[in-house]
Amino acid sequence: MSDVPALLVALPILASVLALLVGQWRPRAAWAVAFLGTAVQVGAAGLLAARVLGGETVRYAVGDFAAPYGIELVVDGLSASVALLVAVVAFGVLLYSRVAGPREPAFHAQYLLLVAGLSGMSVTGDVFNLYVFLEITGLAAYALVASGESGRAAVGALKYLLIGTVGASLYLLGVGYAFIVTGTLNMADMAGTLGSEIAYTHPAVLTAFALVVTGLAVKSAVFPLHTWQPEAYASAPDGVSAFISALVSTVSAYAIARVIVSVFTVEFFRANPVAQDLVVGIAGLSVVAGSVLAVTQTEVKRMLAYSSVSQFGLVVAAFAIATERAVTGGTVHLIGHAVMKGGLFLAAGAVAAATGARYVSEYRGLASRRPFLAGAVAVLALAMVGVPPAVGFVGKWYIALAAVEAGWWFIAAVILSSTLLTLAYFARLVERMYFASAPTAAAGTADAVGATPDAAVADGSGETAEAERPGTPDRVTPGVVALVVAVAVLSVALGFAATDFAQLLRPTLPELLAP
Amino acid sequence: MVEFTAVPPAVPVLAVAALIPLLSRRVGHALGALVSAGVMAWSFLVPEGAYLDVAFLGFDAVLFNVDGFSRIMGIVFGLIGTAAVVYSYYSDAENVQTAYALSYVGTSLGAVFAGDWLTLVFFWELMAVTSTLLVWDYGGPAVRAGFRYALLHGIGGSLLIAGIVWHYAAVGTFLFGSLEGVDHAAGMAGTVPQILAALGIGVNVGFVGLHAWLPDTYPRPHIAASVFLCVFTTKTGVYGMYRAFPDGHVWIAYMGGAMAVFGASMALLQNDMRRLLSYHIQSQVGYMVAGVGIPAALATSGAFGHVYNHILYKSLLFMTVGAVIYRTGEESLKKVGGLAREMPVTALAFTVAALSISGFPGFNGFVSKGMVVEAAHKKHWDALWYLLLAGGVGTFMSFIKLGYYVFLHVPDSETESAGSRGPPGGPSTVPHIQEVLVLAAIALVGFFLLKKPLQKLAGVPDADAAYEPLTFYGTRGVVRGVTEAYAAVDRAAVALASATMAAARDPSRVKRYAPGGREEIGMDPEQGRAPMDTTIGTSILILTVVLTVALVVLLA
Repeated sequence: MSDVPALLVALPILASVLALLVGQWRPRAAWAVAFLGTAVQVGAAGLLAARVLGGETVRYAVGDFAAPYGIELVVDGLSASVALLVAVVAFGVLLYSRVAGPREPAFHAQYLLLVAGLSGMSVTGDVFNLYVFLEITGLAAYALVASGESGRAAVGALKYLLIGTVGASLYLLGVGYAFIVTGTLNMADMAGTLGSEIAYTHPAVLTAFALVVTGLAVKSAVFPLHTWQPEAYASAPDGVSAFISALVSTVSAYAIARVIVSVFTVEFFRANPVAQDLVVGIAGLSVVAGSVLAVTQTEVKRMLAYSSVSQFGLVVAAFAIATERAVTGGTVHLIGHAVMKGGLFLAAGAVAAATGARYVSEYRGLASRRPFLAGAVAVLALAMVGVPPAVGFVGKWYIALAAVEAGWWFIAAVILSSTLLTLAYFARLVERMYFASAPTAAAGTADAVGATPDAAVADGSGETAEAERPGTPDRVTPGVVALVVAVAVLSVALGFAATDFAQLLRPTLPELLAP
Repeated sequence: MVEFTAVPPAVPVLAVAALIPLLSRRVGHALGALVSAGVMAWSFLVPEGAYLDVAFLGFDAVLFNVDGFSRIMGIVFGLIGTAAVVYSYYSDAENVQTAYALSYVGTSLGAVFAGDWLTLVFFWELMAVTSTLLVWDYGGPAVRAGFRYALLHGIGGSLLIAGIVWHYAAVGTFLFGSLEGVDHAAGMAGTVPQILAALGIGVNVGFVGLHAWLPDTYPRPHIAASVFLCVFTTKTGVYGMYRAFPDGHVWIAYMGGAMAVFGASMALLQNDMRRLLSYHIQSQVGYMVAGVGIPAALATSGAFGHVYNHILYKSLLFMTVGAVIYRTGEESLKKVGGLAREMPVTALAFTVAALSISGFPGFNGFVSKGMVVEAAHKKHWDALWYLLLAGGVGTFMSFIKLGYYVFLHVPDSETESAGSRGPPGGPSTVPHIQEVLVLAAIALVGFFLLKKPLQKLAGVPDADAAYEPLTFYGTRGVVRGVTEAYAAVDRAAVALASATMAAARDPSRVKRYAPGGREEIGMDPEQGRAPMDTTIGTSILILTVVLTVALVVLLA
């Protein structure tokens, strides 16, 4: 049983190699391997979560080297939740990619590698090991973005690669500083050394904090370090953008939380209030700037991408406030956002496949043409705005309440204003779909009901390669629509489950917050 | 009696709302009317007390709280829900619109039966959503009005939430103070929450200055939608105001007086029939707000009595005016006239409703309005008393105007006074009746004196003349401003970086570029505008700057 954490990492890597090999023999078989791999992953992560979400912590020493020297995998309630999220989303998006592609064996190999990297980041208890998984995640994600064969995807991936690598390097540099003063890489050990043997105000510790948090902030796309993200999400194939938007930034934000609460601990903030001010301030800025930038977008996927910038600002702010309620809220919102945003990207992909619509203006009258897709988009969008009882409301509510309790009035105000801005950009979409009449044929772009499947050619983006993406499906199957609708239902259902989930997290959190 | 309290009334109404689009028009509307009537009976029968204590988001909440105030709201909401659904059926409303309307009714019921602020605000926000949908459903100019409506209510709701959260921080529970076993005083605790709640609720009840959404939104949607809208939002607001200020507040009372006068005077200047009625909502809600604001049992009873009466006659007014619009297709007073002969029943119903709203002896408005006015008089808040009386004159005048132009218009003029034969049926004293008769006389004389000037005055701008451009240009300004500022910062940063690098590489070039190079870095030559995407180099530069700032701040 205690081997399960290692299995979470090893299994997808093995499956990845297997998928590549089997794929040479028969390309469709690669999907089956990936399917089996992620299904087992869901089972393993679920098993682990069921055991851990009660307060127990599972530890696994890699290669039987004892903790301070060897690498340790540590799973508590927080990391098990994220690992389960990774497995479930990977499974769901894989179902989508069977219809929507890409279908090459290489895609499935990279996909499983990304799952391995993300799971590793969730369960590791070692700061250097975290860097290794960060790089595995990054490399797999760069390759996946580039797998869209348009020029736009290549440029987007290159930008992502360069900026992401610099971010990861900053993180490594920060780990180096921390290692020099503490002499250990194990998270628990480092937390024990900091504060007792090395003062929190030691310049090297402060430098390490700045480097580590800045590096991870690049990966979670917090404003103004988000510049790689909109283009990467918008240019990637639809299945890929759903997957990386739901998970890559999410797990990086989890890593920020882990570093803040488990390595530097809340004592560090008490000793350096200015560090807390800095992180909360940047996060608050990100919330507002991301929302405002999202309002200015005309392309749906870019709008969703900027929306993520805003939501991750909120999550990072919650983790930086670092009270029990705030971390609960941050975790709920982290998971809720992954479900909602992944679902929105899937829906955007399905809408593009069905009607060719990729711009907000092209969504007009969608409700009459594609009632289920439009309904799912509307539900997910309202959930994201934070309309109760959806999960988006619960997360925001906990964070707002925690901000008020901890005296961060600024964050409470930011949350309220960002809710209005979120309403502004999603209301635009919903209004287009439900209350604007369907476009006339003269509009020149996607036609009404009888639209040819390849109407995307004329979507006016100026990118001729846009429509020639490999794997763009000819039709949207009922299965895809059902998947999108299921995610929409899930986003509401999670809202009801969130209170119980918060109860389950309870035993884990005080231990983390008051070491 | 257990079965009465097992679910809050909102649940069946919302369930029926979800069903209606699937049913035929006849069955759907019948079911809607039936469930609303059921709610009325249910509210009447259910015993007092707080039911359904649950933990909501980890806080104590009471989903179904019955006391005298929520009971009367439930009864009257059920009554009007029934009438309005039947009206929808006969005015050719679509099933979808009625479904939106019923979901709006359901969320309002949820709000008034809430036993704690958290549940109240939860349904409060849902009400804003469902009523916006109801407006949007009509399409056309209703969509933009709906946007302004949603924006203003979003701001109001946020203010209320802020007030509630502050209140929670002060007392440690969301439950109403009026519940048993809750040990803080009823109402909002502390000055700041009171201000925030008053402003937030003030949007819903239409405080002067925050009222622009009312005449802006209500005349635009389908005539049956107007009937629904005129009832629920403002009345739930009055109820919320009472919960926040159970002991009243002098400023709120005076705001109510101001609303009464302002609404009535603006109504007098309108030519669009439904717009005129919308201003009267503000005016009448002014009386209720004044009643809530005056700290006396008589005033509070008057306020809630007026809620009940107002809902009856105001929905009747919207129905009769809707009937006129339905019949003639005209919205403006200038285009209709002399309809008394064509639509005698409508004219009669209108006369009854108009006399009620004017508080004429023998009609229901007389009693409840009289209670509020009397309470102001007893308190010796004389300025408020005069304001409320002046509002009464304005109400008389504007309804004489409406009735005159719609139903008479032709030179024979004295028919309107026929209603004055009704014997005094209210529990009031002779001087009180004299007072109202004097008001009516003043109004009648005043109207015919002012008829000519009033015709010229139509189209006087209200606050929404400023609001409409403000929301539009405001939103656009924010978006543009941010985009341009972002682009400008981006350009400046890139220009600075390139200039520095160029200068470092080849100092002699500085001189060449110094007078001001013509090349604008960061501009996309093809698009001719600043691209939102930063280049890779700029991104790394920003990253470096952020890191440097972080280090400087931390190590300083």
